[in-house]
Amino acid sequence: MAEINIYHLYPGQLNLYGDRGNMLSLLRRAEWRSIKLNIIPVEPGDNINFANCDLLFMGGGQDSDQKLVAADLKKRKKELHGAVEEGMTIFAVCGSYQLLGSYYITADSEKIGGLEIMDMHTEAGKNRLIGNAIINCTLWNPSKTLVGFENHAGRTYLGPSLKPLGEVVSGFGNNGLDKTEGATYKNVIGTYLHGSLLPKNPWLTDYLLQKALAYRNQDTRLSELDDYMEEEAHKAAIELTGSKKHKRMSSRA
Amino acid sequence: MRNKHKQVTDKGGFNNRLFKIKIAAAVIVGKTLIAATRILGRGGTTLPGRTAQKIEPGLVSKLAHETGKGSLVVTGTNGKTTTAALITSIMKEFGSSYVHNQSGSNMSWGVATAFVEAASLSGNISTDYAVMEVDEGAFPGVVNNLKPGVIIVTNIFRDQLDRYGEIDRIQNTIRQGLEAQPAGGFQIINADDPSLVALAGSENHCRLTYGIDIELPVDHIQDSVKDLKICPQCFNELAYKRIYYAHIGHFYCSNCGYSRPEPDIKLTGYEENRTGSSRLEVQYPGGLLKFNCPLLGRYNLYNILAAISCAFALDIPAKTIICALEKATPSFGRMEQFTYKNKKVVIALIKNPVGANEVLRTVLNREGDLSLMVAINDKIADGTDVSWLWDVDFEQLSSRDIQLSAVISSGLRAWDMAVRFKYAGIMPDLIDINKNTEKALQSALAKTASGGTLFILPSYTAMLEIRRHLNRMGLGKPYWEDK
Repeated sequence: MAEINIYHLYPGQLNLYGDRGNMLSLLRRAEWRSIKLNIIPVEPGDNINFANCDLLFMGGGQDSDQKLVAADLKKRKKELHGAVEEGMTIFAVCGSYQLLGSYYITADSEKIGGLEIMDMHTEAGKNRLIGNAIINCTLWNPSKTLVGFENHAGRTYLGPSLKPLGEVVSGFGNNGLDKTEGATYKNVIGTYLHGSLLPKNPWLTDYLLQKALAYRNQDTRLSELDDYMEEEAHKAAIELTGSKKHKRMSSRA
Repeated sequence: MRNKHKQVTDKGGFNNRLFKIKIAAAVIVGKTLIAATRILGRGGTTLPGRTAQKIEPGLVSKLAHETGKGSLVVTGTNGKTTTAALITSIMKEFGSSYVHNQSGSNMSWGVATAFVEAASLSGNISTDYAVMEVDEGAFPGVVNNLKPGVIIVTNIFRDQLDRYGEIDRIQNTIRQGLEAQPAGGFQIINADDPSLVALAGSENHCRLTYGIDIELPVDHIQDSVKDLKICPQCFNELAYKRIYYAHIGHFYCSNCGYSRPEPDIKLTGYEENRTGSSRLEVQYPGGLLKFNCPLLGRYNLYNILAAISCAFALDIPAKTIICALEKATPSFGRMEQFTYKNKKVVIALIKNPVGANEVLRTVLNREGDLSLMVAINDKIADGTDVSWLWDVDFEQLSSRDIQLSAVISSGLRAWDMAVRFKYAGIMPDLIDINKNTEKALQSALAKTASGGTLFILPSYTAMLEIRRHLNRMGLGKPYWEDK
């Protein structure tokens, strides 16, 4: 029986935007294919061995928690870099996506060093970028859409060699300017999208499962599932994002 | 010099007259709009207040100042509506009059609408009190306008992050509001919420705290939400001697010594009666209150304690408090119960994971045949980000020995909710999806067995819609007739 080890990083601290939905999505879609999925919670200070990890999941956190996490994670920077180069999958959302870059400048002009896994940096902006978002994701050819919700003060700028996760169709993306959203390097995926992201974009869930299987040289073929509901939810989110009436109703604050 | 002086006074008199005219105009226009929306059966609470405030921005501040005994503001994530309603029922029992935003419309315009409705046509208020529940985001602004003598903060949970950003920021907003309260005022807070204890209690204000002092039975609901279990003073992880739900309980920090204060008003006895009410024992500095209360759910225990604390701050006698609490009824859309063709219908607002888990606790405790309808909209008053649905422990619906005869998903985000049910382990064939809340309600009622109970769990604007459908079927009354 195929088996995947997911390390869930700091579930107590990085759990701001329905990250449980992402974990449930991975868990159920593995279960439905008789793949054994072990979710291993990693708490601050734990001595983790990335050698047993196939997929590292990092969720979103608020500023005060994120500082704690950043300090703790930097101690494991070397091991993480090694694992990433070997092809370990990382899926990082919002706050922890920012941590993957070189540095983050907070609203109080404090510079927090990042993990330097991806060539990018983030600066806090004045207002938060909030709302439904659609991107064209280029992990596949032809590209597929991803729908989610973004809510971030940080503006992330990608270095010249770093590939974005997708192109913004609707919403703000990394910085509200260059139409890029998220970033991807080797099997590392970082994004601002939650909503939760994976339940309404089952092809991304399956992509992560396949990458995690491939990392341990396991069979990556996944049996087909009936995704009628997930697809309808995906379509409904695109319709709502495009609807002017809905935008008016939901953007009046 | 003399001329000039005269001119100034004239100008003052003119401004004064103009202000009065504008106040009266604001009130008249506002009242007209309230009447118009009610004819349409909607009971609008946004437009009338917004328009009136545009005509005269000083309106609310002026009217609040005219109340005989001042204003009270209730804020916090959960429990505002019920706490405010309990406070007004105690006032009513005592014979005091009040203006109150009972619809639960709690942004600045909702507060303005309530004042406009209660004002005379000439733009005056003659009630004893103003009791306003206020959204956390609008809290500092409303405190500045109302200058309340009493502020009650119920709790802080993760809620509607799309509007306010993160919890750190909500705490800051609440701190600003507390600091804006005039000196000498009461700040009533939940002693069991670590995020609040650090906020309130400057030397200029009187702090009153309330909390639970007994063991409560543990159940299976997973509180996936662990926000705020970090010490607000030194950022180390908090420990708990007792935990009631989410981060609410008897907390202490082993690093810096920050801990739950001994509450001034505390629950020392609690027992559920077979009839569906509960027997409570509450200790306060002067004695002990013993009474029965028909409100269910452990979150309501905190709402009851908050209301009692407030009544003490207002010097209302214990006997009056008990009389009012024994008659308490659920507020608008908060576990309201109706009977339709031998079927029970219970409508319980959900808006964040902690509150929704508390509602699920009550659903799972219900015996007999059960159907469940969840209706989620994502308008601004609901919160535009529906991620929180994934933090609610819907898994309990499939893992327990309960048999749901129907599961209905409705609202603008019906498909999101359907996917949520599916991943919670509910068979997709059992899930009935209809975005239209009226059709979904009909189907849900049809599928509920005779003698069974239909639980409806809507987000805020979906609750307003569904309540209107129920009203048309002769169940319940519109909130403005419900006084």
